[in-house]
Amino acid sequence: MLKVKNLSVAFGSYRALQDIELEINPGELVVLLGANGAGKSTLFRAISGLIRPSAGTIEYNGKTITGQPAHQVVRYGISQCPEGRQLFPMMSVEKNLLLGAYARRKDREGVRRSLRLVYDLFPILQEKGHLSAGSLSGGQQQMVAIGRALMSAPQLLLLDEPSIGLAPLVVKQMFETIQRINEAGTMVLLAEQNANMALKISHRGYVLENGRVVMHDKSEALAGNEEVKKAYIGG
Amino acid sequence: MDLFAQQLVNGLTLGSIYCLVALGLTLIYGIMEVPNFAHGHLYMVGAYVTFFAMTLYGLNYWLSALLAGVVLAVLGVLMERIVFHPLRHAPASNKFIAAVGAMMFLEALARVLWGSDFRSIPVIYDKVFTIGTLRITEQRLIVIIAAIFLMIALNLFLKKTIIGSSIEAMAQNRDGASLVGINVNNVAMLTFAIASILAAGAAALAGPIFLVFPSMGALIIMKAFVIIVIGGMGSIPGAVLGGYVLGITEAMGASYISTDYKDVVAFLVLILILTIKPTGIFAKGVR
Repeated sequence: MLKVKNLSVAFGSYRALQDIELEINPGELVVLLGANGAGKSTLFRAISGLIRPSAGTIEYNGKTITGQPAHQVVRYGISQCPEGRQLFPMMSVEKNLLLGAYARRKDREGVRRSLRLVYDLFPILQEKGHLSAGSLSGGQQQMVAIGRALMSAPQLLLLDEPSIGLAPLVVKQMFETIQRINEAGTMVLLAEQNANMALKISHRGYVLENGRVVMHDKSEALAGNEEVKKAYIGG
Repeated sequence: MDLFAQQLVNGLTLGSIYCLVALGLTLIYGIMEVPNFAHGHLYMVGAYVTFFAMTLYGLNYWLSALLAGVVLAVLGVLMERIVFHPLRHAPASNKFIAAVGAMMFLEALARVLWGSDFRSIPVIYDKVFTIGTLRITEQRLIVIIAAIFLMIALNLFLKKTIIGSSIEAMAQNRDGASLVGINVNNVAMLTFAIASILAAGAAALAGPIFLVFPSMGALIIMKAFVIIVIGGMGSIPGAVLGGYVLGITEAMGASYISTDYKDVVAFLVLILILTIKPTGIFAKGVR
């Protein structure tokens, strides 16, 4: 399980995150709601080790991983599908996926199994396996990004706005896929602006505003909360 | 026609050397996003190592080249650790200045250690092949073939091995590479090692044809820089194509215009390409 305690991140004098408390328990799908600039991606980057927090700790399975470099964090079982996808645009889809398993490349059998699993989740990727990732549509690139994150066989998957820029029908499929990944036993932390759907598939949720957690509760409770409705569901 | 064929061979020889040096420069650019101006001086050290291994220690040509490769790999990694690693979060201009500093340091060191004399690596392969009126020395043939061999080996390493792919992954997307578990530090060291080995290879191949002297790196780095601008900064096919284009253009320019203008040709080509296609032929990151 993941425990974030008192986490703060500062960029110069700007405080991007302040005293964040967040946890994800085994089997959970947790949603992180917040507008653009609320600090969702910053929190993800801090958990993955891409940036160093200025204060606080991140614990994973009882081990403190604060300040560990990103290439190490993925080896603990935390994988991120980042904002903007961050694919290797000039490499083939399949190579992108295989590089997702870079940290466990010696486990050839396991890598093959993961690749099978990703192709089962997103059959279109197998069809397009030899095309360069940069040539795919936005939705397909998003699939590559999620697939790549799954290739490390994570216990905890961080998904940073996977639905952004996708057609409504594709968004629905994407959420179903995320739910399936979670039901197969992977913890998921999902950052979303699309609160309506995200709250339907998640167990619990946190609301982030100006770098602080302003609310956290069971998803049904958040979905029924007037403030959340007004700010994130538009109802 | 005879002159043309003869100059084509000369151009290919020159182009082969340019390709190897430019490939190293473009690989490092992909990772560091700053051209390593000291790269030509690694080439110079490679030439000296080959020279001394042959003349002082009597090693054969190929062993000397191999030794130069090993020494340069170590030197490349040291350069990354000592000069560029401490500046990894610094602005590009700092790395620029550091690269120029490393360049001046290596040249001064060579002058102190080995003097400013021109030397030449002994020619072992001195047979001359004649096809009609076309004359090719064995050494030039070796340069052309060995360069192709090295480039194929590099390509296989980058495309077919997962460690090699980590270099390309890092060049294409740094955050993405870190997130899948690629260690930025290891890739930086590996890239410097490979680029330096290519420079050593180029130096060992060119040594018996050209002269060895402390500032020999200055001109070739200018050329390599022109090549990666022509080919697109960070592009591997661009560096290969640019290398051959420049080598052949120079050889042709030397015979059809004037030898005096040989080195000017490179910069004319640069101005021309930048006017027509400012991003280079194979600009990196184009979708």
